[in-house]
Amino acid sequence: MYNARMRTHLGLVILCVLSAARVCSSTSAPESPRKFDCRSREKETFSCWWEPGSDGGLPTEYRLFYTQERLREVRECPDYVSAGANSCFFDKKHTSIWAEYTMTVVATNALGNASEEFRITDVMEYVKPDPPVNVTVVVNSSAPSPFLEIRWKSPPDVDVRTGWVTLKYELRVKQNDSKEWKTVDIGSETFFNFYNVYPGLLYMAQVRCKLDHGKWSEWSNTIFAEIPKNHQVEKYFWIFVFVFSLIPLLMGIYILLLKRNVVKQCLLPPVPGPKIKGLNAHLLKSGRSEDVVNALMGNQNFPPVAAWTEQVEDFLLVSDSDEWLLTDSFASEKKKDIFIIPAGLHLGLEIQCRDLSVDLNTWEKTDDSKEEAKSNFLNTEPINLPVEKHEFLNGEEMSIQPLANTSYVDIQQHPTLTDYSRVKEVNDNTILILNEEEIPHGLDAEEVKSEVSVPDDYSRVKEVNSDVVFLEKGDSTDGCCKKKEDHYTDWTNQKPIMPLESELSKGFCLKMIASGYVDSGPAFSVK
Amino acid sequence: MLEKKSLPCLLRPAPVVYLVAMCRAVPVNDLLDRASQRSDKMHSLSTLLTQEMDSHFPPYGRMQMPRPADCHTSALQTPNDKEQALQVSESDLMSLARSLLQAWVDPLAVLSTSAITLPHPSKSSISSKIQELQEHSKSLADGLDILSGKMGPSAQAISFLPYTGGTDLGQDRVTILNKFNFLLSCLRRDSHKIDSFLKVLRCRAAKLQPELC
Repeated sequence: MYNARMRTHLGLVILCVLSAARVCSSTSAPESPRKFDCRSREKETFSCWWEPGSDGGLPTEYRLFYTQERLREVRECPDYVSAGANSCFFDKKHTSIWAEYTMTVVATNALGNASEEFRITDVMEYVKPDPPVNVTVVVNSSAPSPFLEIRWKSPPDVDVRTGWVTLKYELRVKQNDSKEWKTVDIGSETFFNFYNVYPGLLYMAQVRCKLDHGKWSEWSNTIFAEIPKNHQVEKYFWIFVFVFSLIPLLMGIYILLLKRNVVKQCLLPPVPGPKIKGLNAHLLKSGRSEDVVNALMGNQNFPPVAAWTEQVEDFLLVSDSDEWLLTDSFASEKKKDIFIIPAGLHLGLEIQCRDLSVDLNTWEKTDDSKEEAKSNFLNTEPINLPVEKHEFLNGEEMSIQPLANTSYVDIQQHPTLTDYSRVKEVNDNTILILNEEEIPHGLDAEEVKSEVSVPDDYSRVKEVNSDVVFLEKGDSTDGCCKKKEDHYTDWTNQKPIMPLESELSKGFCLKMIASGYVDSGPAFSVK
Repeated sequence: MLEKKSLPCLLRPAPVVYLVAMCRAVPVNDLLDRASQRSDKMHSLSTLLTQEMDSHFPPYGRMQMPRPADCHTSALQTPNDKEQALQVSESDLMSLARSLLQAWVDPLAVLSTSAITLPHPSKSSISSKIQELQEHSKSLADGLDILSGKMGPSAQAISFLPYTGGTDLGQDRVTILNKFNFLLSCLRRDSHKIDSFLKVLRCRAAKLQPELC
């Protein structure tokens, strides 16, 4: 009996000890689950997970009950398995979008239970699709630059054909050794051509998607692509093309250069410049003021010798007396050689201006000296000198060589006679023009070394004596001669074109040929 | 004046000759595409608004927040999943969309006025988004009016869902922000509904062009 009581006490003590031990190893009612989260992958189903609290050391069972916004009844989770442990999977039948779910998770064990309520306002808040699949990239090496052709497919469980779901994608690409991603918003397409790539580099790309403005999915698998380096062939091809296209261009330029005159004629036709009669542009260009002045002022009237002398009468000293013969008088005055050189004549001769010039000047200056001069030189009627047209060829060389003895002026010229109608006789170099009344006394065949231009009008030739042509008074010098007709200085210029001043006359000397032939010059101005 | 039925055209009434010469009927597909783009924009804006609100004002407490069932549009029976949505007729879908859109005209005005004085750091951004929402809502309503005209009388029926919240959101800061938050969540849900229904309609109308879906 005493042993039985001892055994019972011992059993109780052991039981107490054991039970005490059990309490120390936390057997209790479970704690309520924590952290509730859900996810919908395609807007048709969704799953929720909870994190269990302490289970109290005892096997704990978790159960989920939910109510929907419109449903009064409480339902239990239809599927605890498909989504893993501590989860609840709501299939299509049990999923309502835009409806509020009130979830209650109950943890139960032997000692008790605990529950927690979670509210899902809208399943849409938990929509997060899977990443896109079948992401491929192809390097397109076509000209002008290579690019990446990236393609993918929508996540398999998302139904995009009915319009219930709208997927939008995002792509990112970076170089293998770079840290910066380049991100592109795609929209709803499932391909993209990425151009910002360079040859010889390795690139990696990823794609993700979102559903109906929900959360973004995870990034897809990374795909790699390497851009091949430039093909040499292509380079050479373009170089070839470039060179060959240059050839016609260079040929064109060469031809243009060859025919640049023609081109110039075509493009820039010469504009005819103004022409002033008789004015020589080259003369102006040469820049000699003397020439310019001569050209400008004397142009119309002082072209080269010939033209000028056209206007100028050929002054002839005519006398029927020996006294008058200039040869004697002048010779006596030691003036044997008198040159009257026209203005435009470039003879390069030394003009010996001696007393004669003074005399000549005095002649014209004074009217009074008319008679005087006349008396000196003339004892005949006043002389009306016809207008002669001496055409001294321009530029003709006149070599005047003073003769040793006779002080001849050898003027070799080749004058042209315009009017040969009155030529009576040609003897050697002297052309005699007569009219009926006049009978030359004889023409000395003495050569007139000076083939002076023959006057047009010899109608007044009265007598020719040793190369001196005697003239009669005539009407040739009508109103044209504004000069003193009866003056010896009737060496008028019929056409008052000579603008010569008296100063000019000073510049000229009169050199009388020994024979008395006078070659007139612009010694006496016509006013 | 031409009848609207025979010549569906978005132009205002004009001389007949002008209509014949210039008016070109815009196909329904195109109209639905435009409408769904606008509804997508509206949904995007409302989503951004809720996120912006939450960034500086965490929900007061899930339990104490008004329930979505308290939204003034919750009485409207709408499809809640894909199967249901695909079974609804086009006219009904259009009617639902239009009803929801009409129901938010007044609340948006209230939100707009309240946003100016909202005790929130991002109130200017919030205010501009709400204004943009109002514009989109107005133009979408006009477009849906025209679309529904082509779909029959049942499409033109609008359920009346009055807003009874009043023009004042509350007196104290917490109440104001709570109410604001609640209204934005309701708006987000309803704008998503409108967007989904129109996109289903668009896809259904474009059977020959699957790329529009």
